[in-house]
Order: sequence, then C-alpha cells, then structure tokens
Amino acid sequence: MTAAGVAFAVAALAGLGTALPAEALPGVPGLSACSVSSMGPGAPYYAVELVPTGRVPGTRRARGAATISYAHSPFGLSVTPDGEYVYDLHVEFSGLPSTSGDFVVWVTKADLSEVNAVGRLDGEQKIEARVDWNKFLVVVTLEAATEPLGETWNGPIVFRGMSRSGRMHTMAGHGPFQAEPCSKYGY
Amino acid sequence: MRNATLPVLLVLASGIGGVVLAQQMQGMDHGAHAEDTGELIWRMPPMDPNMPMLPGIMGALPPVGPLLPGFGIDPMDYPPARPREILDLADGDEITFTASVVRRMIAGKHYLMFAYNGQYPGPLLRAPTGATVVVNFVNEIDMPTTVHWHGLRLDNRFDGVPEVTQAPVLPGGTFRYEVRFSDTGVYWYHPHMREDVQQDLGLYGNLLAVPPDPDYYGEVHREEFLILDDILIDERGIVPYGDVAPTHSLMGRFGNVMLTNGATDYRLSVQRGEVVRFYVTNVANARTFNLTFGGAPIKVVASDLSKYEHEVWTGSVPIAPAERYVVEVQFDEAGMVPIENSIQAIDHFRGEFYPHVDLLGQVEVGEDVVERDLSEAFGHLRENDDVAADLANYRRYFEREPDHELELALEIGDLPLTIIQSMEFEKGLYVPPVEWNDTMPMMNWLSTGEQVRWILRDRATGRENMDIHWSFQRGDVVKLRIFNNPDNLHPMHHPIHVHGQRYLVTSMDGVANANLVWKDTAIVPVASTVDLVIEMTNPGDWMVHCHIAEHLHSGMMLSFSVE
Repeated sequence: MTAAGVAFAVAALAGLGTALPAEALPGVPGLSACSVSSMGPGAPYYAVELVPTGRVPGTRRARGAATISYAHSPFGLSVTPDGEYVYDLHVEFSGLPSTSGDFVVWVTKADLSEVNAVGRLDGEQKIEARVDWNKFLVVVTLEAATEPLGETWNGPIVFRGMSRSGRMHTMAGHGPFQAEPCSKYGY
Repeated sequence: MRNATLPVLLVLASGIGGVVLAQQMQGMDHGAHAEDTGELIWRMPPMDPNMPMLPGIMGALPPVGPLLPGFGIDPMDYPPARPREILDLADGDEITFTASVVRRMIAGKHYLMFAYNGQYPGPLLRAPTGATVVVNFVNEIDMPTTVHWHGLRLDNRFDGVPEVTQAPVLPGGTFRYEVRFSDTGVYWYHPHMREDVQQDLGLYGNLLAVPPDPDYYGEVHREEFLILDDILIDERGIVPYGDVAPTHSLMGRFGNVMLTNGATDYRLSVQRGEVVRFYVTNVANARTFNLTFGGAPIKVVASDLSKYEHEVWTGSVPIAPAERYVVEVQFDEAGMVPIENSIQAIDHFRGEFYPHVDLLGQVEVGEDVVERDLSEAFGHLRENDDVAADLANYRRYFEREPDHELELALEIGDLPLTIIQSMEFEKGLYVPPVEWNDTMPMMNWLSTGEQVRWILRDRATGRENMDIHWSFQRGDVVKLRIFNNPDNLHPMHHPIHVHGQRYLVTSMDGVANANLVWKDTAIVPVASTVDLVIEMTNPGDWMVHCHIAEHLHSGMMLSFSVE
C-alpha cells in the first residue's frame, strides 16, 4: 500500500471511529476514535481529517480524506506574494450514500470570511483544488443537484475538517487538550 | 545528550544549571548591559513588545559567554568599509583576498564588523565559466577562518572546510585557493568556521561564472546582484554571539535589521521599461526570504548551478539560506517599486498567522523610456533545450529506490523547563513548513549547541551526523531521500547543502518535479520528503549539511567521499 493509501485507510478508520467509544482504534496504535488521521505514524503531516457530522443519513459510514501537497513551483515549496502556502488539495471519499442531491466540497478561511466552492464530487467521489490559504476549513455539504452553487453552501454540512495549521499551539488554547476525546464536545 | 522525551530528567537538568539564572542582571533595562564599564555581558535579544515572555525564562541567560569581536574598540579607529567592487578576472589571474576588521555604518550607526578586501559585500569575482583564479587569502581577523566557495565544483583541496580539506587559517595566516568557475551561474563565498559570527558580520560575497554563450540568458538591459541578509541589533549595538558555541541553536539567529548588499537603503535607478536580471543570494544565518518586487511579475530563469528546463512566471521568490536564484523583472511604470520580504509570520501565543513585510530596497523607475524595448523578449518564456538534453542522462535514476535515506531530527538537552514545557504543548500539533520569522526570540536565544543537537540520521544504519561517512565512485549517480521528521519538540525546515557536487530535486512529497534545475542547496520543509539525485563527479572528501549556521554548529552535518 502506498503512503497515500495508508493515509487514506487511517483517515477512513478515524472517520468511521467517530461512532465508536473514544479509545484506540483496532489496528491503529496511538489513534483514539477521534484523534486525527494526519497524526498517525507515516500519515501525511499536513493531511486534513474529514469528520462526519451525521446530519445526512448514511454518511457516517462513508470514508473521506483530504490531503495537500505543494503546488508546482520552481522553488520546491510554493507560496504567494503574501507568503501564504499554495497547496493542491485532493479530496476523496468512498461509501457516500446515494442521495437526491450532490455532495459539494468547499474551502473557507477559518473565520468563514471567504468561501470558495471547489465543486461537486465526481462519480468517483473525488475532487481536486488549489488552496492558497495557510489556515482553512474543508466543508462538504449536500446541495440540490439542480441548483447552481452560490457563494456559500445552503445544504447541511456532511463532513468538515480543518487544515493542520488549525492546531497551531496557543498558550491558552487547545495545545494541552488535543488528546481529549471529541465525544466530549458532541461529535 | 538526552532524548527530548525524558522531561523528568530535563526538569532536573534545567534546575541544576544548564542555563545561568541571571541574578547578575540586576539593574538591567530589558537585559543586562555592562559595556559602559568595559565588560561584555549578556543582554536580552530585542523582542516584539507585544509578545509575552514565558515567566520561567525571565532573567535566564545562555550557558555560554558572550562574544563580540571588536568589543570595547572605538569603531572610528578603523577604516570605513566601502561598497563592493567588481573584479573581472581571466583564467590564471591571481588576486589577494584579505579578511579584516572594518567600520560599517548601518542605519546611521557605526559598528565594527568584518569584510573581505574592506568591502561590503566582498568583491564580486566575475570570470568566464571554466576559468581558474588563484586567490591568496590573508586572515587579519582575530579568529581562525577559512573560505568556502559555495556551489563551485572545484578541487577538493580548496573547498575551505576546516579539518576536512584544510587546516584553519589562523589569525595572521594565509592560504592559497585555486578557484575554478566550474559551471555557469552565480555563487558565493563565506567562511566555514563560526559562520554564525563571521558571515553574520559581513564575510560574504558573490562569484559569477559568465556563460560562454552570450545568448545563454535572455536579453536584458542590465544585471544586478542582490545579497539578502539580516543582522540582530538593539539600541546598544550588535547583540553578542556565543563564545564557545553559537546561541540561537533551535531556530538559528534571525536578525531584526534587513540588509541588501550590506545596507539598509539599497536603491536602484532604472528607466521606464528596463528589464533587469537580478542574481539573488541569501546569506542570512537563518532567515528564508519571500522576495517580491512591488507586485511585478517575476521571470524565474536559473538557480544554483544551471538554468531551469523552462522559464516560469512567479509573484515572489522564496529563497532559503545559501540558495541563489536568477530572475528577471521589467519595470514599466514610473515611480518607486519596493523590494520586499513578504511573509505570513506566526504569533505562537495567539496561534495565528499575520502578514509581515520588510522593506529590502527600492527601485526608482524614471519617466524616461528606455531606448531599446525588450518587452517582447521579456514576455517570452524560454524553453532550455540544452538543459533538457543534459537532464535526459539522469532521468533513469529518478524512479529507482533511494541509495541512502536521511531523517532530519532533533534532540534537546537541558533547556529551561518552561521552554521544554512550551514545546511539549506544541509537539504533535502543528509547526509550519517554514519558519519565516523568529517566533520565540528569548527561547531561541537561550539554546546553544550544548543543549540542542540537530541530526542527520542515516535510516539504514542509525548513524548520525559525522558518524556517517558514505563512499562513492566518481561517476556514480546517487539517489538520496531526505525526510524531515516532524516528530520532535521543535521541527524546522532545513536548507540542505551538498559540497562539491550538483544535484536535482526530483520530487517533493511524492510529487515529481516538472521543471528541474541543478542545485547545491535546497529547502526541506517540515514533514516533507525530498528526493535528490546527486551526480558524483568531483573526487575528494565532502560535506552535506544544513545551511542554517547554528544548526550546522549543532552537529547537522555528515561527510562522504568520492574516489
């Protein structure tokens, strides 16, 4: 299995695991039910864990992962003139249920001040996009198939995740508590 | 050296005195200062006043003494340094090169610093590709030194690595270097001893290997050389260095005053429509710049040892220490164009990125239109068939399994407990791919190579740093995979320099590089895996190391030989 494949599998387990008690996932040492796929050994450091919200029936059993890599650049890493990293975002699911709508991927700044529609998942439940924000959210919603996409989503959020940079340490923030089970917080 | 995962031991160690608590700092205003009484002692590095300090490190000092060459001497007793001169050289020419103490003026204040031939930066040595020039070096500074001719594939005896290729040049000593301008491109020279001090104080300069073909690059109106640097200065002068070991070993010594060609007021005057080719070199100890030209499109032409396969447009040039880029810019609007370092800095206490811009210089674009219009040539991106033809010989190595794998790692010893605790909060959460700014100046300042060990680890043997010695045959093409392991207390990017050879960065994080260029230094971001294909053509004993000066001195180097 490739590294990406391992990452996908671990991410999938983490996604499935939200319905499980907050304990180590079978076969994945060190990962609690809601600890993050991207922190697993060998997993991409900058992967984005996609967590199901349970708002759409059948989606808890779906598996999803988002990974990022630097956009092509003559400098190895890729940054904008403002110093934001430029990433190619790859989002992939399996097991999404058939619905009357479309699953749509969005990226937003962490404070929701800007929202970009990445697009509708294709038949292979994949999509790719370019992101040039250092900190961002990936949001997957269920939208009406017949409606054009607006500036932001209208349907329910099915999955959501935050870029690794969302875990940036703060002295008063989440740092010391990152290992706490997410079930404490209602998801 | 203990492993950083032993916090209990670290608690004990920090209490015992790995770091000196500074009762002697009584009466300091933001740090001790005894220069008035003729004694050099530590004072705290300048910090952003908005950045709160961890209470446990208030008053702590590095566990080494302070060092400031020329301390106590009136700068006015020394001759002023003068701007760089260009030495046009031919094959067989012989020059004298003297490292000495000079007086420099930075932002209106005088400082004692170092210079080659009394110039800042050192003289630009310009010679035809393939030429060999004899440089008779004289050391007139009060420290042992050498000169490393960064990037040139010259004879191993002249690589300037102390105790590997030569004995240090002691104060008053001399050394005869034969400098071969091996490959067309821009290079630089600097000491390979206590770079954190000597290079930081001004010992650096460029070399240009002039292409044999006048059409090697596109047509431009002029060529300029930009050497980017920074220096750490407070109201009392240059902040001292560590005496027996560098300070700032965690992140490297970031300066707070930006220097372009050694000055804070770099200015270039051009006519409207001029196309300028900039040879850009980063000589900073630690800072990676993100260079912009007022939003103008930048054409990326070449890097360390060659042109790219094809030219590309970009909006900025991220350049790590020791890298070089050759870029072209057209200035088509009258007015002032800022040259800036434009980054997203990090405020760890708030857990936020924030935009930060440093002015590096200005280009004054006149109203008069330049006589020859090169807009059409500038607007065209060239495909470099000569580069592609050269690369065709190496592509078969790209997909094969690596010959060697390195892991970049860190061990931390007896830093103050508060620093360890702070970094433990951070561990496993998020560290940015690149540290563009010093996010923790006090913590960084307190760390020395006695407490911090940066590591190149051979994944096959477990050997580390100078316990690694690889052997190759001349003509070998070696694939090296480097993984910058984030699983430590403070992962950081590393610009990895290979001496005496050239290499290609063939992929990053499994994504193939579609536009190759020959390099000698390339950045490995945190958590990234980078594949290098190195052509071993130059016999001798050589080094691989991180080019953050303080990381190098914290052990991050290995050796290899080519028979």
